[in-house]
Amino acid sequence: MISTRDISKVFNAGRPNEFTALRGVSLDVRLHETTILKGPSGSGKTTLLGLMGCMARPTTGRIFLRDREITSLPERFLTEIRRSTFGFIFQQFNLIKGVSALENVMAPAYPTGEKFSLLRGRALATLEMFNLGDRADAKVEWLSGGEAQRVAIARALINNPAVIIADEPTAHLDTRLAHEFIGIMADLKRRGTTVIVASHDPLVYESELADRVVEMRDGRVVSAENRP
Amino acid sequence: MAIVIERHRHIIDFTLSSLLRRKGKNGALLAIYTLIVFILASVLFFTHALRREAALLLKDAPEIVVQRTLTGRYQPVPTAWGDRIGRINGVISVRPRLWGYHYDPVLMANYTLMVPAENPPEPGSIDLGSGISRTRGASSGEMIAFVGHDGVPRMFTIRNILDAESQLLTSDLILLSEQDYRDFSGIPAGQATDLALRVRNPREYATVAEKITRMFPDTRPILRSEILRTYDAVFGWRSGLLTVIFSAAALAFVIFAWDKATGLSAEERREIGILKAIGWETSDILLMKFWEGCAVSLTAFLVGTILAYFHVFLTPSPLFAPVLKGWSTLYPAFRLTPFLDFGALSTLFFLTVVPYTVTTIVPSWLAATIDPDAVMR
Amino acid sequence: MILHPSILALLLSSLLISLMTLYASCYGFQILRRWDIASGSELQLALERRTYLISTIISYFLFFQLVSLFLFIHTADSICQLFVGAMCAVGTLTVNSFGYPALLLKVITFLMAGLWLILNHADNKGYDYPLIRAKYLLLLMMAPFVLAETIVQGSYFLGLRPDIITSCCGSLFSQASGGIASDLLALPSIPVKITFYLSMALTFAAGARFYLIGRGGYLVAALSGITFVVSITSIISFISLYYYEMPSHHCPFCILQREYGYVGYPLYGLLLLGTVTGLGVGVLQPYRSKESLKKILPALQQRLTAISLICFLIFLGMVTWQILFSNLKLEGY
Repeated sequence: MISTRDISKVFNAGRPNEFTALRGVSLDVRLHETTILKGPSGSGKTTLLGLMGCMARPTTGRIFLRDREITSLPERFLTEIRRSTFGFIFQQFNLIKGVSALENVMAPAYPTGEKFSLLRGRALATLEMFNLGDRADAKVEWLSGGEAQRVAIARALINNPAVIIADEPTAHLDTRLAHEFIGIMADLKRRGTTVIVASHDPLVYESELADRVVEMRDGRVVSAENRP
Repeated sequence: MAIVIERHRHIIDFTLSSLLRRKGKNGALLAIYTLIVFILASVLFFTHALRREAALLLKDAPEIVVQRTLTGRYQPVPTAWGDRIGRINGVISVRPRLWGYHYDPVLMANYTLMVPAENPPEPGSIDLGSGISRTRGASSGEMIAFVGHDGVPRMFTIRNILDAESQLLTSDLILLSEQDYRDFSGIPAGQATDLALRVRNPREYATVAEKITRMFPDTRPILRSEILRTYDAVFGWRSGLLTVIFSAAALAFVIFAWDKATGLSAEERREIGILKAIGWETSDILLMKFWEGCAVSLTAFLVGTILAYFHVFLTPSPLFAPVLKGWSTLYPAFRLTPFLDFGALSTLFFLTVVPYTVTTIVPSWLAATIDPDAVMR
Repeated sequence: MILHPSILALLLSSLLISLMTLYASCYGFQILRRWDIASGSELQLALERRTYLISTIISYFLFFQLVSLFLFIHTADSICQLFVGAMCAVGTLTVNSFGYPALLLKVITFLMAGLWLILNHADNKGYDYPLIRAKYLLLLMMAPFVLAETIVQGSYFLGLRPDIITSCCGSLFSQASGGIASDLLALPSIPVKITFYLSMALTFAAGARFYLIGRGGYLVAALSGITFVVSITSIISFISLYYYEMPSHHCPFCILQREYGYVGYPLYGLLLLGTVTGLGVGVLQPYRSKESLKKILPALQQRLTAISLICFLIFLGMVTWQILFSNLKLEGY
């Protein structure tokens, strides 16, 4: 379980452009479930994802991951937890340009010092799982939208994370690709992976995928509804 | 342990591929960096080598040379004085030396004429330095003429062309017999150019010199160590001066490097953000930046040093010879003896790599501390 | 002043290092005052980011200082002929009273930087920055030494004028003149040898004991420090003689030269590394009870002890080899 207790996040505190992204959010996300964060842009979904995913520290409040408090951990510990527990899929895919698909998939594991041949093998296997085995050496600029999406997902899976976090994954996709994405997530869910998605796309939050939908507005949780 | 090594390997791999991806920007920096190293290395190698040449030159020089002066200027010394000087405690031997300069108005060059202690040429023949041989187009066995002190030309047969270990030493040298030299230069019998002394104990140089001056007040004993010191000071001074001048260029380079390092392109910034978002930590990025700096510095250092080595030791070093040698109009095409040492390399390191590294520390750190969640927005 | 490129390089590098240290110290001061690990405020985040910068700076500093130490000696050696009576670095360093202090300060700052990095390494392993205060206190203590080194070295070089009568190895390190240096040599060689081997033996014993049962960390550190001093003394007193194969040549710097195979570099390098790791064990000792370090510190200290002992062992081996196989036979002399 990932728990947040009364967390707030303030950017540029004390300056004219001070901005409060989250106010007093307390939320429990159960593992092995799929949670959707729903709400308009500016509601704090992305910030909350970042905090839960050990990417940043809250200004106030506490965060627990599997009953271990991670709020004041130094960056290197936070990063290590993030690397092994979470896999991120970004809105813009955020693949590294000029680098092949295979290397993009391997990149998150470089700091772990895993033996190169082993890592490469696993990365290839993951790509093959998405039918991208023959595109492994292609530079990411040459991939189609769908292929890039799958590479982004493969990258998120390279460290065998327990939790997948996706931020507006279908925002730039057509319906077909969006459905494809939801299908892949459903597949992961079946295998026991926890999925947390932030989306204001009805295709996502009204799909069968969602176990729980949390609605957010202006940095606060407005409602949290379990779907049967 | 293996994990640590693999981690470094991965990061180095990534760094190199990332450098190659941005050839243009890094290329300019690398080129200028290499140039700076090249110039500085050339200066250092050159002066270092010249210093060694001078030391070699003086290695077998007599410990003390006694000259006689008149009105503060040089005059020949009577050989008879050598007997009295030889009796000073601590002096092993005294040898009168015959040598001098000769100006050739045609070539506007100065030659050094000398009567060697061992194996002098027969009267009528001479040994010629390679520089003279080249410029006068004369070789072994041929005849060559020089105009003596009385304006009368004298013909000599060339016995040997001198090709000594130190070309600086012999390039403009002419060796001849005592008889020929006295005739040529006009130094009368019973006089010599100066007296060469061998002294037993270095700590006694000063004492012996003092005694000689008391014995013959118009003499000037010159210690070999003083000559070496003077040479050294001049070389050191000149090369130091060049270094200072050069540092203006180095400063410009450093500012350029700073600019390049702080001006991360949006693309680079994005890439680092992504890396941090997918699981790289600040110290991983710092490591990447470190290897980047290493790769650039190492390449510039190696290439610059190797080119400088070629420039100084394998070609006539057209760029620096005039400033650093600077007194003879006859430029021998001499080859300096190649010599590298820790001192030169580490000096080079401190004057180039260290300033570069220091300027890039803060920009690298700024890059490495990009917030990972910046990429989420 | 003597306008020699190496001197310019040394002055420049010391200046840069001082500037870097001052910069780091300002932030170190801020960190000491405002650090609060539990806070998620932007100031805290900025301070945490800043610690990366400071440790990077000091890592570079350590490396530069080591090179600068050797370059300093090398330069002193190569300009010795500018001074009447100076035969090697020893002569040059005695030209004015700043020479040896500059050398000493270089060694001290190197050791301090090494200790800082060891503290930093341990600190990074704890999940709550347990050694943050200790680290930055050490940094603030180190800063004056670094500045002093730059000033003293600068004064030394600026005060050098050629043609000053000085002493060379022969007379400084000979029995005739007074001062500590010659007192070292008036000591007959056997007691010094015994002291040397004894200090090594004690260090090994303490190190082994610590490695095996984890007790006596302070002892390891103290003995490392003592071994350092004793070893340097021994080099001057008798070890160097076996390298030069001359019973009166006591200079500690000539072994860095080409004609002795540059053996001085590995010898001094091993000695410095062994000392700094040994001292590191002691520096970490007070923090063994900290919660976040309980599990990690013993292992880290063990590793440091091992490195220290290996360095001293190799040093001992090299030196003993030379003593046994040199053409010089000292006893009975």
